[in-house]
Amino acid sequence: MRLYLRLCAAILAAGALTAAADEQPWTLDASNWEKGKDLLPEPVVKRLQKGEYWFKVVSADPGKFHHNYSQAFWDATEKNAGKYDLDEKTCGLKDKATDKIPDFVFGLPFPQVDKADPKGGCKIAWNFTMAGAMGGGGGATFTLNGVDTGGQFRRIKAFIHTRGYQGRHFGPLKDNPEGLAGEGIGGALEPVDVEGVSTLTKRYWNWEGQDAVWAYVPSTRRARRVNSASRSDPVAGLDIFADDLNCYGGKVEYYQWKLVGEQTILAPLLQPYPFASKSVSPTRQLIDTPYMPAGYEVPNAKGAPWWIQQNLVFVPRPVWVVEGQSSDPYYNFGKVIMYFDKEMYRIYWKQVHNRAGEYFYTAMCGYHFVKNDETFSAVFPNLVVGVNDKTNRAALGGRFQSSFLEQSWDPSYFSLRTLTHMTD
Amino acid sequence: MTARGTALLVALLATLAGYLWVVERRPAPAFPAEPAPLLAVPTAAVARVELVEGERRLTAVRGERGWTDAAGRPWSQDPVSDLLAALGALRPLATVDPDPATPGDYGLGPGGRRLELAAADGRPLLALELGERNPAWTGLYARRAGEPAVLLVGGVLAWELEKVRQAAPGGNP
Repeated sequence: MRLYLRLCAAILAAGALTAAADEQPWTLDASNWEKGKDLLPEPVVKRLQKGEYWFKVVSADPGKFHHNYSQAFWDATEKNAGKYDLDEKTCGLKDKATDKIPDFVFGLPFPQVDKADPKGGCKIAWNFTMAGAMGGGGGATFTLNGVDTGGQFRRIKAFIHTRGYQGRHFGPLKDNPEGLAGEGIGGALEPVDVEGVSTLTKRYWNWEGQDAVWAYVPSTRRARRVNSASRSDPVAGLDIFADDLNCYGGKVEYYQWKLVGEQTILAPLLQPYPFASKSVSPTRQLIDTPYMPAGYEVPNAKGAPWWIQQNLVFVPRPVWVVEGQSSDPYYNFGKVIMYFDKEMYRIYWKQVHNRAGEYFYTAMCGYHFVKNDETFSAVFPNLVVGVNDKTNRAALGGRFQSSFLEQSWDPSYFSLRTLTHMTD
Repeated sequence: MTARGTALLVALLATLAGYLWVVERRPAPAFPAEPAPLLAVPTAAVARVELVEGERRLTAVRGERGWTDAAGRPWSQDPVSDLLAALGALRPLATVDPDPATPGDYGLGPGGRRLELAAADGRPLLALELGERNPAWTGLYARRAGEPAVLLVGGVLAWELEKVRQAAPGGNP
């Protein structure tokens, strides 16, 4: 009996040690790159192998990670089971009870996704959209940095403000006269030659409508409507695209989605668990986050000049591998391969081909979670590292140190008037 | 006006008309013809796909119930169809080397990877030698069987081939 107990104790101790070892952060770099070959997209593995990238890998407790989203969100997700379907033609979200677009959705609309389901890719895209919308709106001031092998060649400081009508905690907003899913204003603050260049985007809550996007250039004092396919145009000549926000910035209906696989991938996160927010008004909360310096900003940094040096960890996460392709002839991307978290529905990486089928670009999309209690949570995109492997250049987007959540914007804020008077 | 003057004017007019005809009305230079897609027939015409990589041979045969391997085991439909769709859309991006002295530099040559497509009557529809990825990883080298020219083909082909490998029924030896 004593021997049996001793054996049990030894087995338990060994198990505990193994578990503890699993929890220990470790570094994936050129010396052990083989460990990462199935955990990263192939072009990234090439750079890992060459010593240009390395990864601080941190395990996260799956149960705790799940609770990065509020209990309110997960409860709503559970209640959504069986409520929604997809429009055959557009892949738009459909309320089974009415056969129409639902009035309001909160939580993941498809709590279970079957990998054999031909509509699986589209369902994943809807889960992604609704998970990203849970915060309801907010903003941040951030930078876009163009970086090549010689260091930074361009820096733009900009801001973005958003309001979401769908997917938000606490239910729908009272007024939504334009029938929107969301809207946003973004603008350049520095350098002076681009100061005031700004855009207003309105995304309609329907299956077939295109986004309405206006661009304003202060020197002409004109706001012009632009094609929403410009999401695949480089932003300010940099190797980064409007569609890189959250790794996909369009309406679900713009792509044909196809679920093609599943795997584990390294998810770039500021930290595995949520940040707390602090209230600065009854409707506004601030979140402070650490800056992520890149190689070009750190003396004697190792690796590629655009590689993040501090305050970024990589959590192994199970993901769906999904292909997306636009049929819009004005959209520059061909097949895009995206890696969606199977539970949190964030896209961590995407590989982009052009319309000729040539691979040219990989984006890494980093996030952080915000939660104070079980009634509210949000997930912020805080980093895009876009790497053009064809030109061997990159762009960094995000890396803000302060952001905010806003539950009640002035009703007239997201308007052409605001857009055209921003530099007054 | 004298007859001589009239003749001069007519000659001048003829010269100008000739100039317009020869210089201004010359047909605009044609754009270089777009290269043909790798698979120049409709994908529905393909009845057999073979991917040979060293000792490994993956076979997909189109049947009434979809694609099966040589032993009759079903393939999941999509990867084979996706590969054919990609081959039907992809056009060579460039001819990298019209007649390489050492095809091995591109990962081509004896013992290399081969992709062969055939019609239901056994007629070959496409035979490609597949080489390495290019240094920028944007495409891969390939050449049509029997032709020396090394082509650069978009990297999406490598992605589709990987999907086929992953989906092979029971390892599809």
